[in-house]
Amino acid sequence: MNAKSSIAGRLGSRRSTSMTAAVTVAALALSLAACGSDSKSDDDKGGKQADPSAVAGALDQPAEITFWSWVPNIDRTVALFEKKYPKVHVKLVNVGQSKDEYTKLQAALKAGSGAPDVAQIEYYALPQFAITKQLVNLADFGAASLRDKFASSAWSQVNVAGGIYGVPQDTGPMAMFYRKDVLDKLGATPPKTWAEVAELGKKIKAADPANFVTYLDPGDAGQANSLIWQQGGKPYQVSGESSAAVKLKDDPGAAKWAATWGPMLADKTVESTPSWNEEWWKSMGAGKYALWLAGAWAPAVMQKNLPQGAGQWAVAPMPTGDGAPGSAENGGSSVAVTKQAKNKAASVAFATWLNSDPEAVKSLNSDVGLFPATRLLLDDPTFRGADLPYFPGTKPNEVFAQMSGAVRPEWQYLPFQVYANSIFKDTIGQVYKPGGDLPGALSTWQERITTFGKEQGFTMK
Amino acid sequence: MPPPGHAVKRGALRRNLTGHAFFFPFLVVFVIGVAAPLAYAFRLSLYEDRMIGGTVFVGFDNYSKALSDQLFSAGLVRVALFFAIQVPLMLTLSLLAALAIDSGRLRGAGLFRVGIFVPYAVPGVVAALMWGYMYGKRFGLSAELSDLLGTELPDLLGPDWMLASIGNVVTWSYVGYNMMILYAALRAIPEELYEAAEMDGAGAFRTAWSIKLPALKPALLLATTFSVIGSFQLFNEPSILSALAPASVPTNYTPNLYAYNLAFNGRQFNYSAAIAVVLGVVTVFVAYLVQLATARRERMQ
Repeated sequence: MNAKSSIAGRLGSRRSTSMTAAVTVAALALSLAACGSDSKSDDDKGGKQADPSAVAGALDQPAEITFWSWVPNIDRTVALFEKKYPKVHVKLVNVGQSKDEYTKLQAALKAGSGAPDVAQIEYYALPQFAITKQLVNLADFGAASLRDKFASSAWSQVNVAGGIYGVPQDTGPMAMFYRKDVLDKLGATPPKTWAEVAELGKKIKAADPANFVTYLDPGDAGQANSLIWQQGGKPYQVSGESSAAVKLKDDPGAAKWAATWGPMLADKTVESTPSWNEEWWKSMGAGKYALWLAGAWAPAVMQKNLPQGAGQWAVAPMPTGDGAPGSAENGGSSVAVTKQAKNKAASVAFATWLNSDPEAVKSLNSDVGLFPATRLLLDDPTFRGADLPYFPGTKPNEVFAQMSGAVRPEWQYLPFQVYANSIFKDTIGQVYKPGGDLPGALSTWQERITTFGKEQGFTMK
Repeated sequence: MPPPGHAVKRGALRRNLTGHAFFFPFLVVFVIGVAAPLAYAFRLSLYEDRMIGGTVFVGFDNYSKALSDQLFSAGLVRVALFFAIQVPLMLTLSLLAALAIDSGRLRGAGLFRVGIFVPYAVPGVVAALMWGYMYGKRFGLSAELSDLLGTELPDLLGPDWMLASIGNVVTWSYVGYNMMILYAALRAIPEELYEAAEMDGAGAFRTAWSIKLPALKPALLLATTFSVIGSFQLFNEPSILSALAPASVPTNYTPNLYAYNLAFNGRQFNYSAAIAVVLGVVTVFVAYLVQLATARRERMQ
């Protein structure tokens, strides 16, 4: 699971998933009954309606837009929109977070009806909907002109197979959160390289074998993907609409990732543990992990789940192999317009306003707690220099903005990344233990993803 | 049967119609709720829907794939193992509890009965969550026991113990339910049999062995059949516990979990339907074997 998806989900109603699973299976089976080969005609309609000039005036006409999103408090930003454009009514619906939403979205899109006009979709899941032609190509509505408004790491992620399939909403450039108190006690400074991280791990271990330098989650593919990305990996490659490659086995970044984490797992300086549950938060609060490598969305989550941690934690750039700045995205999502949108022009205009209007962007950051994808804030000295009371006396946004600029380019997700991530725990997750064979598991993961891609009709190189 | 006369025939017809009228509501629900979804699942299983290339008819390809799918068979073997160990254990406990209540020598039998039955009233998902937290090796009951005993208890959520931990949750949930089935059967034994046994000088244990146990056979068979279904369709407990220990519960841990993951993470609804059909057939087959074995033993006696 992608790290970002965990946030909203585990705060919310994650537990209901399995309870409703059986019911959903049945319901889905029935809704699929309507599915056939009628998706083609939808495509054509979408293409013809495309008209950039229609977007400009669309919000002055009466319109109703259904918007699926699970982001807590996003209703505040939506309210600002409705205030500004009183003729447009936005129906905000939370159908579940991340994977739960995608399942429902997928079913509705296949069934031919019931999908929202606009939907929240994380970057990692966007290619899946884009490749299957279930989203509107925003380039047809002139979205290419938005390019300069967004951080390049965000913009590149909504570009799939030559089209623009979403408006970036938030990003999660990775940074290193560390426990000042823990490091001070050991007389250590924040590590700048992976070698220093390993060194710190040994120190921690020597002081108290129950503590760790950080953790790896055997169920969190998003964490591993981001860490591979951060080491310069490009293991997933998509070319055209029906051809992809998985190079986990031979990717230099993945190999560096394995060489970094394997020895730390062997030393037991890194713990393999599921994250985002009660136990994990307690461990985080107790200082069991000195470092937390996470996206820039972390402060919002920490304030909520670790209120007593204010002043204990500090922010620093991500460690790298050579100490030069380098980061990756961890989570983050976009807002996309579906092929079923009734009023496509208004839907595109809404998605654009929500994520690029100065007023909206500020609200997303301060009311909703999202880390921005827009240059408007990322380049704003007031934003970068802002004090966060949780990290007194530091300028965390400055670090995050710096990390955002240091995100390594050219990363791609597979058009079936949701599946690839779901079998992470069957492969890599199994070897997150002392002496675990990370390179071997990378091969296994690659084989299973490749098999799946072939079964789905992709040319797998 | 002698050929019926005209009048009789008409009467029979009317009776038949009345019968059908009573039967009809059930039939409607049965067709909508059971037959149609089954037929639909079967139909689904004959197609393949690809992201590139769309939906095509593939006949029984999904079935041949399922039969040679090692991930699927690994799940089947796991639930079969679960069935072979957990079910006898659970039914023995249920049997002992039922006999204890029926013996009349138990003080507070009512409380005892309710106490054992209450876990069945706890929804399976809640039960799994509750136990999951108790199994936690850091802050759970297991952690506290470890501290108390001064030793390291095994990681109950680790890959080696997961099946046993699930077995414990299922046993805890269903001992009471099976006890009720068995207890009801015990109550149905005619009083005369006990009297006769007493006249013959049989003690409590002899009575239990020679009268109660043989009389319980049909009820035990029923409970076993339910347990076959429960074991092979195992889903809730592993699904919930996988959130606490992802690596201990891979996506193919049980056949049902596998089908679920194929459908909702892999969007392979068709293959998932084929898996579900095969699983259904296997379950029916095992349940039939259980009945056959019991019937044969009875004939031999």
